[in-house]
Amino acid sequence: MGKKELGVAFLLALRSLQRGSRSSVVLTVIIIAMCFTNMVFLPGLFNGIGEGIITQIVDYEVGNVLVAPKSGEQYVTDLDATLDRINSMPGVARATPHFSKGATLKYRQRVLGVSVKAIKPGDEKYVSPLYSKMVTGSYLGEDDTGEVIIGKPVAGDATIKQEDEFQASLGGVRVGDAITIEYGNGYTKDYRVKGIYSTGWSSTDNNVFVTWSDMELVEGKPLDYAEYITVKAKPGYDEKYIKDTLQQYGVTEYVQTTGDLLKKAMGSVMQSFAIINMVSLLVGIIITTVVLFIVITIKTLNSRRQIGILKAIGVDKEVIMHTYGLQVVIMSLLGIFFGIIITALIGVYLSVNPIVTPEWSATLYLTPLDYLTNSLILFMASVVAGYVPAYQVSREDIQSAMRA
Amino acid sequence: MIEITGLRRTYRMGAVEVKALDGLDLTIEKGEFLGIMGASGSGKTTLLHLLGLLDQPTSGRILIDGLDVSTLTDYEKTMFRLYKLGYVFQDYALVPDLTVLENVSLPAMLRKDRTEEQVTKDSFSILQKIGLCDRKDHLPRELSGGQQQRVSIARAMVNKPDILFADEPCANLDSENSRMVLDLFREINEEMKQTIIMVSHEDWHKEYFHRIVRLKDGKIVSDGLNEKKHAGQGTG
Repeated sequence: MGKKELGVAFLLALRSLQRGSRSSVVLTVIIIAMCFTNMVFLPGLFNGIGEGIITQIVDYEVGNVLVAPKSGEQYVTDLDATLDRINSMPGVARATPHFSKGATLKYRQRVLGVSVKAIKPGDEKYVSPLYSKMVTGSYLGEDDTGEVIIGKPVAGDATIKQEDEFQASLGGVRVGDAITIEYGNGYTKDYRVKGIYSTGWSSTDNNVFVTWSDMELVEGKPLDYAEYITVKAKPGYDEKYIKDTLQQYGVTEYVQTTGDLLKKAMGSVMQSFAIINMVSLLVGIIITTVVLFIVITIKTLNSRRQIGILKAIGVDKEVIMHTYGLQVVIMSLLGIFFGIIITALIGVYLSVNPIVTPEWSATLYLTPLDYLTNSLILFMASVVAGYVPAYQVSREDIQSAMRA
Repeated sequence: MIEITGLRRTYRMGAVEVKALDGLDLTIEKGEFLGIMGASGSGKTTLLHLLGLLDQPTSGRILIDGLDVSTLTDYEKTMFRLYKLGYVFQDYALVPDLTVLENVSLPAMLRKDRTEEQVTKDSFSILQKIGLCDRKDHLPRELSGGQQQRVSIARAMVNKPDILFADEPCANLDSENSRMVLDLFREINEEMKQTIIMVSHEDWHKEYFHRIVRLKDGKIVSDGLNEKKHAGQGTG
């Protein structure tokens, strides 16, 4: 088919869309836009949940690289020297230790079992945004003793009765209140609540943080060991690079990147998301294909006589096929364009108002590649759906078409 | 010149075989204005469709300028229709979404031997001839029946075809518009020596034809020159 024929097919397609049934065109474009939105929304939401979880794991659990005790050992020992070595390495923003101990909190009549975590507040600031998540009060100072910060769910709400609580809490602790912590080793101490935080990451929000100095009092000796060390990479540095460098620099502890950990912890979750995404994508494609097939089939059936006339006056069947095929191409491009706009608007809305659940908060996370892939898939499906009936009707003999 | 020998066309309607055309022999000379007349169901339109390559004969041969058109492929027939033949239909059959100018230009746009400038020039020239230049940007639905049929004639003529086929072109028109259309056909025939084959069942149309072929039950029952026309006593 030559340029002239394609030009005529394009003219006929364009004029049919411009001067034919506007409502039919608008409806079809809306359907394609909705199908596109449907195709990208759920996967985008899952990606958003996944990205949100990964960000929170990095921020509140493991940093970019986790240094854990060697196999068979309980703690990372020779802590100060290890921290100095890690902090001196290229690409490392800061390394910070963590040590936790099971304890029971007591406040008035309430008793609550929690994990008390010891941190070095100054270093922790470089690794975790916890310091910026204070709801009331303030973050821990480097040498604070006798003071704690607690998660909002642990503090509780005084207006909610104990029997109505979703999860057990201290029933409304406020900044300045004193709480008693009874550690597993029998050490008991009263602490003043310095601040209450809320990160949105459940496991962190159910913790209580004390300073490293305070935990040394609990342990009754200098704390030159830690459960694990979290390492934050400088911007632009790859986690794998940091891991390899740590190992090259003689860090003999068990070093894992966030990616290594996520593969283990989130692998099955991500696989489930991928399966749901695939099902959602398939359903979206099937709906779009069927709808467009029906729309173009109706359009071609209603135009059979005209198709017969066009063939009679010397318009080749290829031109006729492309006339209807190109209509679908134009409508699907418009539909995809509006679908991208709709999705982008939803994305902007959700970035301001994320969907929040007790476990996670989600925004719409879509990369340009996601848009491109879904656009291409939908476009191909539309073209197939449009060209099949167009091909069929263009092959009909003139007499049958003209009698229609 | 068109030569038809032993032309047959049968249709199957369930178990019954209907003979639409039953062994026709006919020769049509270049420049003739031929009228095919007959009662409804006599085979007029079937003959026109076979001559216009819109249908396949069951048997028999059609030679157009010496070419056996039954040997052409589907694509070759399409190109033959585009380059050599023009059609005017009873219901005008214009593309509703195209303007008058676009409708007229459409067949010319597909010709490989025409530039865009030539297409525009030819389209305007034919529109001028039919007196609808001022309606070039109108859509068919904005025109009267007579105007639409004139556009249809312009579309058929834009490629300067060897043969122009008209299938009851006045069936949907009142007598005034019918006469306007027939006058246009006569003008085209006389000025351009255009071969025109027209199907009609209106008796008064015969005054426009050079020659009249009458069909009955798929057979030619009469074939003769229009004496009135040749004696110069016609209305036209």
